[in-house]
Amino acid sequence: MAAPQVDLSVQLAGLTLANPVLVASGTFGYGTEYGELVDVGRLGGLCTKAVTLHPRAGNPPPRICETSAGMLNAIGLQNPGVEVFISEKMPALRELGVPIIVNIAGESVADYVALAQRLSDCADIAALELNLSCPNVKRGGMQFGIDDELTERVVAAVREVTRLPLIAKLSPNVTDIVGIAEAARDGGADALSLINTLLAMSIDIDRRQPMLANVTGGLSGPAIRPVAVRMVWEVTQAVDLPIIGMGGITSAADALQFIMAGATAVAVGTANFVEPDVAGRIINDLEDFCQQAGVARVADLIGAAHSSSGTEGLQ
Amino acid sequence: MALLDEAPSMYAQTIQLIQREQVGPDYHLLKFDCPQVAAAAQPGQFVHIRVAAKWDPLLRRPFSVLRTNEAEGSFQVLMRTVGRGTQMLAEAQPSTEFDIMGPLGNGFALPGPEGEAILVAGGIGVAPLIFLATVLHEPESYRYARGLFGARSADDLCCWLEFSGVCDEFTAVTQDGSAAEQGLVTDFLAPQLERGAGCVYACGPALMLAEVARQCQGAEIPCYASMEQRMGCGVGACLGCVIPTRASGAQRYQRVCKDGPVFDAQIVDWEAIRCGCTPG
Repeated sequence: MAAPQVDLSVQLAGLTLANPVLVASGTFGYGTEYGELVDVGRLGGLCTKAVTLHPRAGNPPPRICETSAGMLNAIGLQNPGVEVFISEKMPALRELGVPIIVNIAGESVADYVALAQRLSDCADIAALELNLSCPNVKRGGMQFGIDDELTERVVAAVREVTRLPLIAKLSPNVTDIVGIAEAARDGGADALSLINTLLAMSIDIDRRQPMLANVTGGLSGPAIRPVAVRMVWEVTQAVDLPIIGMGGITSAADALQFIMAGATAVAVGTANFVEPDVAGRIINDLEDFCQQAGVARVADLIGAAHSSSGTEGLQ
Repeated sequence: MALLDEAPSMYAQTIQLIQREQVGPDYHLLKFDCPQVAAAAQPGQFVHIRVAAKWDPLLRRPFSVLRTNEAEGSFQVLMRTVGRGTQMLAEAQPSTEFDIMGPLGNGFALPGPEGEAILVAGGIGVAPLIFLATVLHEPESYRYARGLFGARSADDLCCWLEFSGVCDEFTAVTQDGSAAEQGLVTDFLAPQLERGAGCVYACGPALMLAEVARQCQGAEIPCYASMEQRMGCGVGACLGCVIPTRASGAQRYQRVCKDGPVFDAQIVDWEAIRCGCTPG
């Protein structure tokens, strides 16, 4: 007898995702770069590389370096700007047949508003992910995500000009992630992405200089996973918004940690660079896990670790 | 001058190391069993190798293809041990399996029928030029090839026999004079350019490439440079491995993995690269 079908679908910010496994912004380009190495159509969703109002050249190289079970990056939001994104990138993204979540980044509230307005006119965008957390740009980026007033203001301003679901992508480089998450909720966010990279640096001891031309960069990869799981856990207890959990996911077991901590969906990031079809493998393994555990719906596992932990919330 | 056709497809697969040969104090020549890459790879393209089936070390390592053997279904890369990832490769035993992606990137544009080719290699940059010289040495794609190979010392002139064996003329240079001529390989380029050539191909340290490009521009001879940069995904998604370019005047960053690794030297912003390079 065939094993019973597992329902992998989840509801997030008004969207129905076929499964909870997305690919994270900045790690999957504009959907076509991995070519035949990935069955993109299987993904629960795709978060694009960040799009800005005007083209950005990005930071000088070297932009990346490897660290223990992780890497640093300081790409600096290189992208062709929203107009080229719409005319040259969206047509191929549309063809992929999965929810397209467009990550937007600005230097000012007005930038975010203009981006949201422009993209609201563009068909087939499932949601906007507000990048409030890029650590590698001089203006904007993480400045928003480390200030609760600014976070609320920018989310609220974008909320006013678009009907698209809004996902606020938050920075872990804060003392109180719950406060920032509450600010995003109060501004009108429909969901949260947790977490962006951790501000970090490495030094080349032979050359006696920083590894990155930008000096600092964002740490990603398996090294940051426990930090991310903890933040998802904390925010889940205080804020009633669905969360896309991310940070060092390489397996279904990793994804399940986020889901059981309270994430509705997860995004695979840095692992895509190493194993382009890692999300597909995770989707398969999630299904197997549910079958073996007798779980009919993966959504039943969201926050599962809370009910059995017996711990009090932060509040 | 036609660009080589881009490989029809890239592959991701698990392949076997079939031979590992130490060719210098820190250098190993690795041969892998992989009919797809053997059939598809063009000179200048690279393979992206995962050194272990785990997440630390995290990233794949890119290696230029040094040679393919289509009959045997194998290809070779040359590696230098520089860190723990390459150390793992240097210690791998034959029959060890590795996950690879490739062939990736754009290879060298072959020279037109007129003129000779000059191939300028610096250190481990010799690998893709051995592949190119091998192709230029074949009867159906024959071009007269002059090879210049510079390295720090005799120990770093690895695979020079493989290189000289497929060049019609060959000059080796070491910085410390421990073998062959003493000096920088670029010191020996001017007389070659004065003789005229159809095209110059170069691969090596960034400052060497900048000097080769400068001399070629002065001599008005086309130059193609294979560039190196720390690399992430290898397919153009992460934007980690960029170099500064000035295509049609506008300054921008282009990806070594996808837009390169071979670039027309005229579009590379060598001044910015010189500024970013600490000598030594």
